[in-house]
Amino acid sequence: MFSKVLIANRGEIALRIVRTCRRLGIGAVVAYSEADRDTRAVHLADEAICVGPPESRRSYLSAPSLLSAALVTGCEAIHPGYGFLSEDDTFAEMTRAHGLAFIGPPPEVLERFASKAGTRTLLGRHGLPTIPGSGMLRDDAQALAEAERIGYPVLIKPSAGGGGKGMRMVRSPRELQQAITVCRSEALAAFGDDSLYLEQWLEENRHVEVQVIVDRYGNGVHVGERDCSVQRRHQKIVEEAPSPALDVGQREALAESAIRAVVAAGYENLGTLEFLLDREGNYYFIEINCRIQVEHPVTEMLAGLDLVAEQIRIAYGEPLGYGQQDVVMRGHAIEFRINAEDTEQDFQPQAGVVETYLPPGGPGVRMDSHLYSGYEVPPYYDSLLGKLVVWGPDRAAAIARARVALDELVVDGIVTNIPLHRALLSHSTFLDGEFTTNLLDRVGSGAFLAAARAA
Amino acid sequence: MADEERTPTDDDERRTIARLATDTLPRLIERMTKSELGELEVREDGWRIRLRRPVALTAGAGDTKSRPAAERPRPTSAGSATSAHAERISSTARAGQSTRLDTTRSTVTSPAVGYFTSRDGVSNGTKIASGDLLGHVDVLGVRQEVVAPIDGVVGGLEVESGQAIEYGQRIALIDVNVQ
Repeated sequence: MFSKVLIANRGEIALRIVRTCRRLGIGAVVAYSEADRDTRAVHLADEAICVGPPESRRSYLSAPSLLSAALVTGCEAIHPGYGFLSEDDTFAEMTRAHGLAFIGPPPEVLERFASKAGTRTLLGRHGLPTIPGSGMLRDDAQALAEAERIGYPVLIKPSAGGGGKGMRMVRSPRELQQAITVCRSEALAAFGDDSLYLEQWLEENRHVEVQVIVDRYGNGVHVGERDCSVQRRHQKIVEEAPSPALDVGQREALAESAIRAVVAAGYENLGTLEFLLDREGNYYFIEINCRIQVEHPVTEMLAGLDLVAEQIRIAYGEPLGYGQQDVVMRGHAIEFRINAEDTEQDFQPQAGVVETYLPPGGPGVRMDSHLYSGYEVPPYYDSLLGKLVVWGPDRAAAIARARVALDELVVDGIVTNIPLHRALLSHSTFLDGEFTTNLLDRVGSGAFLAAARAA
Repeated sequence: MADEERTPTDDDERRTIARLATDTLPRLIERMTKSELGELEVREDGWRIRLRRPVALTAGAGDTKSRPAAERPRPTSAGSATSAHAERISSTARAGQSTRLDTTRSTVTSPAVGYFTSRDGVSNGTKIASGDLLGHVDVLGVRQEVVAPIDGVVGGLEVESGQAIEYGQRIALIDVNVQ
């Protein structure tokens, strides 16, 4: 096994990776920016090394700085976390060129799956139904022509990265022209890549994704699906598993088609295949995420697996060591993303000092967060403060635990979206498992909050 | 701050400096502010103008809550948003503004993470001028220069050649000449 790993990320995921490294007896070296000096991951790491100033471009997105940090600290591998350089095939290639392992898919695999349009074609050939879309857009004229061909409304999507950045649904050529510039600059700022493509927009859909693990030798398993239909402007807010929208037969068919296709296409390491599910139960593959995802704990709660450990093992070259029949999923889990944002003020990101942080506890409650009382949320990065994950033998039990845990959770001194989560838990659409991805935007979060206050 | 240490020897030179200061420099500063560049260098009429972002914009921000087992010196230099210097042969002109509070000494911090090599002949007690090379940090084989921010005498050199160094780590103190 690796003796030392550089963690090239921040926040809760850096802490999450430190924890697994420590458990596995791997030295954890956290690479941090000047803004993240006083963080839990830095404090708990075996070593920490400052790689640059707060701006991501010169720290968490600076491949030379991160590689240099890995080399001077004697690391054997780099864990990129999610976001930043986690799916950057050039970074993975550079990592290998410097004699280090990249904890994720190897560069050739990342390259093969780098283009979302190309991936749709590739996995379509391996049996996955896909959603109509465009290739990479060269210019506005081509975007307009492609949108016309696909049919409005269309979704503008960045080719790199995720998290809803650079994404807009547009209903007309005029909207398309306005949005495309914004999307380009958002994508460039978030991922250092402004290439965009278009996808047909399904009005009423659910977002369901399948977690897969594939080793270097072509052994793969799926670890079920997650339903991420509670979204605001394409950003996931709540994720759960199993999906309330699928029955056992549909669930197995979806997950099995996903793992079959990625193994056949030569995928390696941890990955997530995202699908849109329509009202009739048809599913369409939209994209693959070649990294650990924010919502991975939902799956861990059901399967009893440590997905970060699986990533590390596979990157080291170990065989998977178990088969599909060994993956047993139990109960129901729900994750709530706790964000520093003002739900009453158009979800404006907040920065400042967390005066009091008290995480919830009890059976079936897991809080993955880098917060502590006195922690200062810097203004430079995304607004994720942590994830509250609850587990119960069934959905109703998980929801009951979620209510208690959300009441117990204290994050004072900074505005968070905790009230929105409480509101969701009293809304019949969520309780009935009927959420669709556009619901929150259509109804408006304000309406949810107001309804919760009135109740 | 624009401390020209030498009076230009003729009108041409004076005009050039005026043009550099009033025209070229503001343009470069604006361009650099808009970009993500850490350093920018142009050559014009035998003059070399180099702009460098200060290594630590968050100077001292977290000083009171340092890591317990901190063998990790934090950057303490307070810098202007963009500091710049123009030099010709041995003449040095600095432009830009400085918010440095301690006027008797200045901290030199590492511009990058990598291996440090000091310039031959630089040690404690070496007299240096602003813009002089103190050494470099090797980042994957690419040299990032470590430059004196101010005229003075090297004191408290904390990093030896060949030593691994992190971004913002203190390399040396420069004591300002008292004359």
